[in-house]
Amino acid sequence: MTADTSQPMVVPAGLRERVLEASRQARAAGRTVPDVQEISPAEAFSRAADAFYGLLCALGDEDWPRPALRDLDVQGLVGHLIGVEEDVHRCLSGDPGVAEADHISSTRAAAARQAGRPPAATRTEWRSAAGRSLDLVSAAGDLEAEVAVHGMRLPLGALLVVRAFELWTHDNDIRRVAGLPASVPDPSTLRLMTELAARLLPYGATLTGLRQPVSLRLVLTGPGGGTWDVAVGERAGDPASVRIVTDAVGFCRLVANRVTAADLDLHVTGDPGRAAEVVAAVAALALD
Amino acid sequence: MPATLQEVRPCGPVTPAPARCTAEVRRASVPEVGGTDALLAARLGAGDDHALAEVFDRLAPVVYGAALRVLGENSAAQDVVQDVFVELWNRPDRYDPAAGSLRTYLIVLARHRAVDAVRSELRRIARQQRHYRLTPEQPHLSVCEEVTAAEAASVVRAAVRQLPEAQRRVVELAYFQGLTCREVALVADIPEGTAKSRLRLALAKLETVLDRELLEWS
Repeated sequence: MTADTSQPMVVPAGLRERVLEASRQARAAGRTVPDVQEISPAEAFSRAADAFYGLLCALGDEDWPRPALRDLDVQGLVGHLIGVEEDVHRCLSGDPGVAEADHISSTRAAAARQAGRPPAATRTEWRSAAGRSLDLVSAAGDLEAEVAVHGMRLPLGALLVVRAFELWTHDNDIRRVAGLPASVPDPSTLRLMTELAARLLPYGATLTGLRQPVSLRLVLTGPGGGTWDVAVGERAGDPASVRIVTDAVGFCRLVANRVTAADLDLHVTGDPGRAAEVVAAVAALALD
Repeated sequence: MPATLQEVRPCGPVTPAPARCTAEVRRASVPEVGGTDALLAARLGAGDDHALAEVFDRLAPVVYGAALRVLGENSAAQDVVQDVFVELWNRPDRYDPAAGSLRTYLIVLARHRAVDAVRSELRRIARQQRHYRLTPEQPHLSVCEEVTAAEAASVVRAAVRQLPEAQRRVVELAYFQGLTCREVALVADIPEGTAKSRLRLALAKLETVLDRELLEWS
């Protein structure tokens, strides 16, 4: 006989509640096992910047002219990121002019001026710009202070996570065209990214529109994941319950609008139509 | 910031720039997929307490049945069920879906916990018996304690009978008659060191036999 032929017995009344309560007391719901070490948003940005600089140093001269994103080659894409850092500098220096600036058109000049430059010059300029961002963040001190840049009004700490997210996304854009394997953020950074994406999901829904509010349980598996209950959509009416389970890294690629739902190992329960609307809201968070 | 199972709101009022979302809104097609053991384990690892409730609803009857079969007593079996599910929730990474089904994993875990409970009870009874022999006034065991002790003893009695005669003798003297090692040596007419080594060998063998017996019962 095998070990799993145990005779089922009727479970005594009250045991279910007792077991679930004891379990939740032993470990709070929402946290992953094993848990990840918490880091500050500034540390997450610093790690993303180090990883991105490492990639730039590993590129050959033949990689820089490769078409990467929109009308930008790799060098132009790095120029775009230099432009983003410059707008962040202006933001942290109190310049309100960047609050409503467009994320792409505002950086077009920085991208264009890279044309014809030696790759090493672009790489060094980006490194210097990222380092200045970190210096300004350190000087600002308060990561809860609200800042406004590129149409986003959010705490400085959240902005740094957005920046780490963007660096990782473009890191993989460059890897793809250079034929390098995709990279994955370290679990501590990934945790900040998934947390922010879950918090911003209702905002994504305002961009895409929902026919009906959704009560979402978002379960992101693997290191850096977690579980969140998110109220998505503000229209009146009873919310539809939807549960989405997928791996944390794949979800972040969806947030970055680099994959579609069909590319993911996505497990959905609830109304498939409502779930599809939520997935569309996730992809709408992309800065690009 | 710790994970929150509460309503999540955007970080603040956000004014979307026209080009913030450059991708056209797509209505993604998402398939509905049923739960598997691997998916349940991944959800448990991600802190999804709904997954724990689902596992309980599906497997608690067989986990409870496995514990009850070993222990024969409702209250102790419920304690084992609680231990098993708290263990699953705390360390879902200890379950390897590639190694077998979640059902089998939980049943085996329940049996091990139940056997541990029996052993613990036997040790307690042996300690108590030694204490009674040294105490002038011995308190009476409650009915519940007597029933539990009798059931626990019956579980190991068969296993003890399988031991070699010399080892069985020292176990009976030490655990069923509550003698000390020195007394066992005197009664069995062997050196005290021999009594200790036979007892160690017997206990090691007993643990192995007891595990196998309990697993084969079902």
